[in-house]
Amino acid sequence: MQSIIRFFSSLKLTVWLLAFSMVLIFFGTIDQVEYGIWHTQKLYFESFIVVWNYSENLPFADQFGWLRLAMPGGYTIGGLLLINLVAAHFSRFKLTWKKSGIFLVHFGLILLLVSELLTDLLSVESQMPVDEGGRSNYSFSYRDNELVFIDRSPEDHDAVHSIPTSLLKPGREVAVPNTPLSIRTIQYFPNSEIGRPKTGNAPSTPATQGAGVKMGIFATPRAVSYADDVVNTVSAYVEVIGPDGPLGVWLLSNVLDDRFPPQLVSLGEETWEVAIRLKRHYYPFQIELLDFTHEKYPGTEIPFNYSSEVIARHNDSSKTQKALIYMNHPLRFEGLTFYQSSFANQDTTSIFLVVRNPGWVLPYLSVLLMGLGMCLQFGMHFFKFLNKSKPA
Amino acid sequence: MKRLIPYIFLVLAVLIVARGFKQKTSDSEFNFEDFAELPVQVGGRIKPLDSVARNTLLILASRQKVETPEGKMLTPIEWFMDLTMRPEVADTYRVFKIEFPDDLGLAGLAVQGQRYYSFNELQPYFQELLSLYNEVDPEPKKRSPYEQQIVDLNGGLTLYHRVMHSLHPIRPPSGLDSLIDEYQSYEASINPGLVELRKQQAGEEYDADLLSHFINYGEDYMKLSQTAHLRVVPPPPPADPLADWKNVGIELLDRMRGGGISPYVVDYAALTMAYRAGEAEMFNQTVEQMRQRFIVDYPDDIGRVHFERLFNESQPFYISMQLYVLVFFIVCISWLRWPRELSKAASWVLIIAFLIHTFGLISRMYIQGRPPVTNLYSSAVFVGWGAVLLGAFMEKFFKNGIGGAMAALVGFSTLIIAHHLAMSGDTLEMMRAVLDSNFWLATHVVIITFGYSAMFFAGALAIIFIVLGLARKRFDKKTAKSLTSMVYGVTCFATLFSLVGTILGGIWADQSWGRFWGWDPKENGALMIVVMGAIFLHARWGGICHERGLMALAICGNIVTAWSWFGTNLLGVGLHSYGFTDSGFYWLSLFWLSQLFFIGLAYVPWRFWRSDFGAEKWHRKRRKVLIAIEASDATVNA
Repeated sequence: MQSIIRFFSSLKLTVWLLAFSMVLIFFGTIDQVEYGIWHTQKLYFESFIVVWNYSENLPFADQFGWLRLAMPGGYTIGGLLLINLVAAHFSRFKLTWKKSGIFLVHFGLILLLVSELLTDLLSVESQMPVDEGGRSNYSFSYRDNELVFIDRSPEDHDAVHSIPTSLLKPGREVAVPNTPLSIRTIQYFPNSEIGRPKTGNAPSTPATQGAGVKMGIFATPRAVSYADDVVNTVSAYVEVIGPDGPLGVWLLSNVLDDRFPPQLVSLGEETWEVAIRLKRHYYPFQIELLDFTHEKYPGTEIPFNYSSEVIARHNDSSKTQKALIYMNHPLRFEGLTFYQSSFANQDTTSIFLVVRNPGWVLPYLSVLLMGLGMCLQFGMHFFKFLNKSKPA
Repeated sequence: MKRLIPYIFLVLAVLIVARGFKQKTSDSEFNFEDFAELPVQVGGRIKPLDSVARNTLLILASRQKVETPEGKMLTPIEWFMDLTMRPEVADTYRVFKIEFPDDLGLAGLAVQGQRYYSFNELQPYFQELLSLYNEVDPEPKKRSPYEQQIVDLNGGLTLYHRVMHSLHPIRPPSGLDSLIDEYQSYEASINPGLVELRKQQAGEEYDADLLSHFINYGEDYMKLSQTAHLRVVPPPPPADPLADWKNVGIELLDRMRGGGISPYVVDYAALTMAYRAGEAEMFNQTVEQMRQRFIVDYPDDIGRVHFERLFNESQPFYISMQLYVLVFFIVCISWLRWPRELSKAASWVLIIAFLIHTFGLISRMYIQGRPPVTNLYSSAVFVGWGAVLLGAFMEKFFKNGIGGAMAALVGFSTLIIAHHLAMSGDTLEMMRAVLDSNFWLATHVVIITFGYSAMFFAGALAIIFIVLGLARKRFDKKTAKSLTSMVYGVTCFATLFSLVGTILGGIWADQSWGRFWGWDPKENGALMIVVMGAIFLHARWGGICHERGLMALAICGNIVTAWSWFGTNLLGVGLHSYGFTDSGFYWLSLFWLSQLFFIGLAYVPWRFWRSDFGAEKWHRKRRKVLIAIEASDATVNA
């Protein structure tokens, strides 16, 4: 037992873990060339183990294409570092004034690791475009999709029944919540191309209803893109099943959006719109965009400032507030943070990045602790050094 | 006699500085200096024509001088005047640098051993070049060096053409000699032309000659407005610093709406005519008149524009580079002879070099109105500056010349890097909106860049430890100890600054993108430096590594820092491009190999170390082995 504690609290383990983390970060950086930032982050830093492949885009791929390199992932290294730190604190550290700096730095570090884990698990990012003079009460993800059944019959609102696309596995049947319907996935494509066949003879389509039949379009699978500015065309052939049997097969896709007539599923008196779309988050408030400005440096196209004047109108009107969102100055409202992200339509639409990150204060705290600790520790060292170096 | 040595070097250093700062007066009758200070709005700020001339030449020729076919050397502004005012002459100057003309794919162009070509020499190949250009990969990160060369040449030719058209329309020589007449004829054609145009549109009878005369001007100036590169025409007073200036084509077109042609346009035409006719007096008068007008309209900017030209001319970073070489040279001699006197000389020269370096840094801050680090170029300047600051500090305490020498080495190397980075044009560019925050630029960016300085400085000290330890007899235990503590101290600094800088970066990212940490290459690079520092410190505190192990780790720090600083910029994230084709990758690899070589040297067995320090280690190791053998013998005998 003693030797286990000694192992887990040893500085040697720290150094090895740090060295491994450096290797991990290095490969997790260069693999972004292949998979983009987001996917690499999942592969390397939010995982327990990761295998790096020698890419065909690297030179000498013919000779070294077989090369694989397995290494512990971010969760493994982070977890072990955490154990190492905690164990060291219990077994070796004595809290003295001289060591207080070191103690603070490491405590801050623990907090930072924990906050990073929390962010990985809890934070949600989405986008909210708002036109000048317009309002919006939802934002949408740019990576996750959902299959929705929308009931437009209630007068004051629409009832939306949502199924995440992760449940769309071929052959699997899923009940649509709060409706008599269920769905069975025939085919699912994480990325695809939707269109009419290029050559004359049309391939046979599973679709028997909706746009797939009316417009004569098909989904053809494509490789998933990891580029950070590309939205994958998610599509699926889905069979809708009523209480008395199948109602037909629909081709659904996130490119068949508001520009196209809605696809309808009817059962007796009731009708639903059915669609795959980028996953939406609805809020109990509306963001109204009063004005968007986009300034450039004189005589250039280099942007100088973007800013959006908004009113956040809450259903509970006492919470309504006005704000100016611009670079480095987000609006924090109702546990969400709104950042100026982009713009469109000749500067008349402002696009906000909406982030829900319950742990956003933690890094600030940990940073404060670490900064304080470092200043203390190195400060003491430094003054000792100055005193020593002074000629006697 | 020996006492004079420091003073001799001091005088030498002062001479180098004085030579750099001396005003270069040309023997020409034309007032080039004042012409060079005429203002122009480029890239969002008002700067002197001198800067435009220099930056254009850097992009085309990678240097700031031009040799005429007659073998005369021209300054950038002289070349600029020929380009805009005597284009038929400028077209014969070889200003297009082509590194590998044989590989360009233009048969018949390359001349053995010639890397510079003139516009006239390239002209027959334009069609061919354009068709090659159209086949190049549009994504810059994916281009091969061959493709990049085609893109660069094509871009260079376009820039040349556009800069040439900046001051007035380009005509055959007779047209340039009578620009004022052209403007008068144009102004006279406006009103009758508009009358005829209205008649034509109303379906009435109209004078076709009058109309086409007017329309020709219109079409011509329309083309000019799209071509002219520089915005040389300020809006009429009162001047608003944020207003767009116009290029000469737009200004001429706008006259169709009434009002007279801007005096700046007329004056540039007058300058051209005077320069072509060799009338220096007329030329100088016109320049003076333009200058006075600018002073009245832009009283806040004139000082800065004037200063920028002086700064361009004195090239303080070039002076400090020479001085750093001198420092390194002095320290090297000091290890052979007169150590005391030469160390003193080295610290004096180092301080002068540092002051000049600082002057350059502050000048750039004044001109740009920004904290010191705004782009890769300025980071190189700052890394060197930071290392020299640390070195000077170390020198003050340890007084062994090593700190000074290594500071000079890092200072020199980073300024060389900066020199090569400057080839892309203006290094005082505007900051994009998200970066436009003096607070974060002054804190996060400066601190993290200072972290680079400290990291490189520690690495350089570690290298000298290995080299001296291997080669120099007099490198004893005491020197080794003080050098180790220098490396330790500097690494502490580096870790502190990198950590604080990285954390500030996280806060900035949280403020502008809503995430504290996003794992992008630059962030990861910064984190790797922090981790490297942490490895070093923990290895030392835990007694896991001793002198040479720590030195090897410090040299690893160089590898990691170079990756963070340059390597991460090469990657095309999500594009399947690792940036191997970038020339930066070549230099980065060379640097890495050299550092691996030094790490290898650190592990040369002790018995090959020539220094007293190494000898002692070797003896101690042997003694341990002997004792062990004796002990085992003893057990066997027993």
